[in-house]
Amino acid sequence: MDTPIYEIQSLNHSYGDQTVLSIDHLTVKPASIVGLVGPNGSGKSTLLRLLGLIERPSQGEIFFNGHQVQPFSDEARFLITMLPQEPFLMKRSVYNNVSYGLKLRRNGKDIAGKVKDALSLVGLESEDFVRRPWYALSGGETQRVALAARLALKPKVLLLDEPTASVDAASAQLIKEATLRARQELGTTLIVASHDWQWLYEICDEVLHLFKGKIFGRGRETIIFGPWQKLKTEKWGKILSDNQLLQVSSPPNQEAAAVIDILSVSHDLPAATGEDIVLSGTVSRLSLERKTGRLFATILVGDFPFSVGIDFEQVKEHTIFPGETIFIRYRPDQIKWI
Amino acid sequence: MPSSSLTAVAFFSCTKIVMNFLLEGFIQAFHLLLSGNAETYSAVWATVKVSSYSILSSLLIGIPLGFCLGYFEFKRKKPIRIIVDTLMALPTVFIGLVVYAFLTHRGPLGNIGLLFTLPGIAIGQTILALPIVIGLSATAVESMDKKLRIAIMSMGANRSQLFLSTLWESRHGILAGSIAAYGRVMTEVGISMMVGGNIKWHTRTVTTAIALETNKGQFGMGVALGLVLLTIAFCVNLSVSLLRRRY
Repeated sequence: MDTPIYEIQSLNHSYGDQTVLSIDHLTVKPASIVGLVGPNGSGKSTLLRLLGLIERPSQGEIFFNGHQVQPFSDEARFLITMLPQEPFLMKRSVYNNVSYGLKLRRNGKDIAGKVKDALSLVGLESEDFVRRPWYALSGGETQRVALAARLALKPKVLLLDEPTASVDAASAQLIKEATLRARQELGTTLIVASHDWQWLYEICDEVLHLFKGKIFGRGRETIIFGPWQKLKTEKWGKILSDNQLLQVSSPPNQEAAAVIDILSVSHDLPAATGEDIVLSGTVSRLSLERKTGRLFATILVGDFPFSVGIDFEQVKEHTIFPGETIFIRYRPDQIKWI
Repeated sequence: MPSSSLTAVAFFSCTKIVMNFLLEGFIQAFHLLLSGNAETYSAVWATVKVSSYSILSSLLIGIPLGFCLGYFEFKRKKPIRIIVDTLMALPTVFIGLVVYAFLTHRGPLGNIGLLFTLPGIAIGQTILALPIVIGLSATAVESMDKKLRIAIMSMGANRSQLFLSTLWESRHGILAGSIAAYGRVMTEVGISMMVGGNIKWHTRTVTTAIALETNKGQFGMGVALGLVLLTIAFCVNLSVSLLRRRY
């Protein structure tokens, strides 16, 4: 078995008295794509900064290629690079920004050619951009130049923190393509934090769900966050935007997150059976999970996206496609609370 | 004649006198510079030499200290910052007095023989410029975007590369601080007068020469020397501005 490119053991990270990340054990395979999802403040950016060796964990160890590493470790600093959430360029020209990392590595051969290649990877014409100062770029261009500066390094690991959050659709598409090409051509391990769940599910080998600094799930799960309210019927739930009631079992606290397992989907309203709850929703997207080859439907119930695995035959048989109204069935007593 | 008319006449007379001084000063300034007046050039040379010594030494000491003060978090950082900011307003005569006390023959450094010399003035001016360079460099580094550290580290920089790159990124702020310090050093009178002694051909700087000429009633000459000083300041700022545009 390959040595994991990353291994985390008993990691705890705090700012002051507040623990923001706590991971007992995590491994990342070389050349894999790992997605990080979770609400704001769940610890995604902190985990990326620790993996990017920008910060030292308060407790615990991070191993890279079997070596224990920390900020400025010679074993890793030229192999790992990170694109932060907000685009940031140094007060230099585009050329000097993109070539900065190459110069740090004393990688003097054909720097101009490498800069040109990296810029073209992110869809920027070298002739138009190399001489531009940092302040003469739009937000999307700044993010793409920042990504080009990382891709020019041909890294072993590329950590991306919300790479498409603050850019337009065209720039987002170029950024997505460029990162995937790095994986295909260089075997770069990608670790991506994003709110774009669909994209992550399409490209990732593994998707980790973070909540309050802990990893609580891997893969496609429907997670609904609190607050929950006690209803007149003494049951707990949430009134959705389309006035349906999302009924749940008794939560451990009002802010807890519920992991809901969908039992079935059907075109027709299923007959009521025991404790089952049925909700209606609209299919918003069908996507293919690259790793398993399974199809997944995203069904919007109110404003909440429910993710359901569907067989190919079932899609053909029931002609499930985006825009269709569909019924989902779940059992409140099977909800897992986080 | 009514009192208001008298006031107006007095005001216009004074204005005329001042304008005459200035006009005379301009003419003399051109004359002094173009005729190669030896006494003037001696004072200009002394000013440039002593201010260069002092600004160079204050930059060499002050920029690393300012960087550390702005970049690192440590205990008692805030009190140190308040002290540095207070020292930015040090009166030049007070520095002159203290340096004089140290360099005088009976003082602890009297045997070095720096009293009434240009290096002696440079020591005093370094003390004057140092808090300005430290304080404004610290402000420049503190005001750097926190994302800069992540950007530099994520590209694989080691500690010294992180230091140098952060310093380079804060260059415009540090340069502004250096110009402010240079302006203060070049235009001070107290230290040059007390430590240098205003000795003709030797330690007489442009500012001490202005003070002397004004005392002698030679206002035109004073204005001329003032304009010379302004010209030097303009040349320095122009060079720095060109450097900023280049980098």
